[in-house]
Amino acid sequence: MTLDPIKPAFDPVTWAIPVFVVTIVGEIILGRLGKVKANYEARDTATSLLMGLGSTIAGALLAGTIALVSIWIWQNHRLFEIPMTAWWAWLAIFFLEDFTYYGFHRLAHERRFWWASHVNHHSSQHYNLATALRQTWTGGVAGTWLLWLPLALIGFSPAMIAIQKGISLVYQYWIHTEAIRKMPRWFEAVFNTPSHHRVHHARNARYLDANYAGILIIWDRMFGTFIPETDEEPPRYGLVKNLGDFNILRVAFHEWIGIGKDLLSARSPREVVGYLFGPPGWSPDGSRETSATLKAKWREREAMKAQAEPAPPMAAE
Amino acid sequence: MNGMVIQLLGSAVAVAAMVALAAWARIPRATPPLDEAAVRALLDIDYPGEIVEDIWIAADGAGAIARSGDRALVLSRLGDSWVTRDLSWSAALAAPIQGGRVRLRLKDPSAPRLALAVSGVNPWPPQGDLELAA
Repeated sequence: MTLDPIKPAFDPVTWAIPVFVVTIVGEIILGRLGKVKANYEARDTATSLLMGLGSTIAGALLAGTIALVSIWIWQNHRLFEIPMTAWWAWLAIFFLEDFTYYGFHRLAHERRFWWASHVNHHSSQHYNLATALRQTWTGGVAGTWLLWLPLALIGFSPAMIAIQKGISLVYQYWIHTEAIRKMPRWFEAVFNTPSHHRVHHARNARYLDANYAGILIIWDRMFGTFIPETDEEPPRYGLVKNLGDFNILRVAFHEWIGIGKDLLSARSPREVVGYLFGPPGWSPDGSRETSATLKAKWREREAMKAQAEPAPPMAAE
Repeated sequence: MNGMVIQLLGSAVAVAAMVALAAWARIPRATPPLDEAAVRALLDIDYPGEIVEDIWIAADGAGAIARSGDRALVLSRLGDSWVTRDLSWSAALAAPIQGGRVRLRLKDPSAPRLALAVSGVNPWPPQGDLELAA
């Protein structure tokens, strides 16, 4: 059997589109019937779905260039011959692509330049299947696709990379829901789940910058970014500073505009670098909040609360 | 090319249908008109530990302005959710009233404008309440 190493045999995302529609309709109807936890607000839903539609158009505009670069590296500079028909090749790309996704996702949250292209995905104050489709318009321009080029350099064909990226994207769709509380314990230990990803979308200080996983949650566990969802503090979704309206242009570009305004006011190369590549919220005088400062303040409040609470009574002797 | 256009049109129709279904389902979160306790609770999420001295609630109960020292903490309903921002108290006092709403302009590209309903019985700036009006 031979597979075309350049043109993917199928696109998992295209195949999944009917599933997206059916499951969103299902989640809304089951939510309406009170069978599952699901909140939908029409304008929020419209924003999410239009961002998804716009994302496919924006993606198509740059897809050719990205594919050409990937093909060029694979054809001219690959280090190994990796057969597309070998099972181990698919197993290897599953892990390597997922690890790449973890790195991309962490970068997209912890450095403002890439956060500017990813922030739109977190801008809904809802967490439902429609939120999953609130995708970036500017990811291509931000160059995050460069992170996947090492896979072509290793020797994975562009078609394999495209298929595995699609599988990862489709996997991550179903975890954007409040309808599923917890999966079986073994599954929660290994895979990214609705519970883990609710934490990722939460704006509560305790949950910020956590659970960057794509398919496997093991990367977060390995690199210390895993935070479990707790019943004592349900996630509140959205941004630390939520958007003031449902304008999709604002959703797509507000952080880029913020970067532009900050760069105009920058007074030194250090400030330029800080505004571009510092953590979101970075400012020269530290007057703005970053995830780190918000978490530090939260820890302080928790410590004060613990001190104020009376010690538990001693067990009767 | 034709295939892409058809796919795009199909997607647009599907989007419209899903939005219509979401509107029909009426399953947003409950957002009853604000009272003082609700304003304090909501502001405490984004401004934990901030001392709120006094509160003005918008005429439609869909927003509020709270005074915290020389700052105004603004709460505004967006759909079934809430948006908060802060600005100087003097800037909030000087905000113009247009179309029955106090229009607060902010320097934040993620929320450049917030507008809260005012009425004759609930004017902005508040009258007679020394803490808020000062």
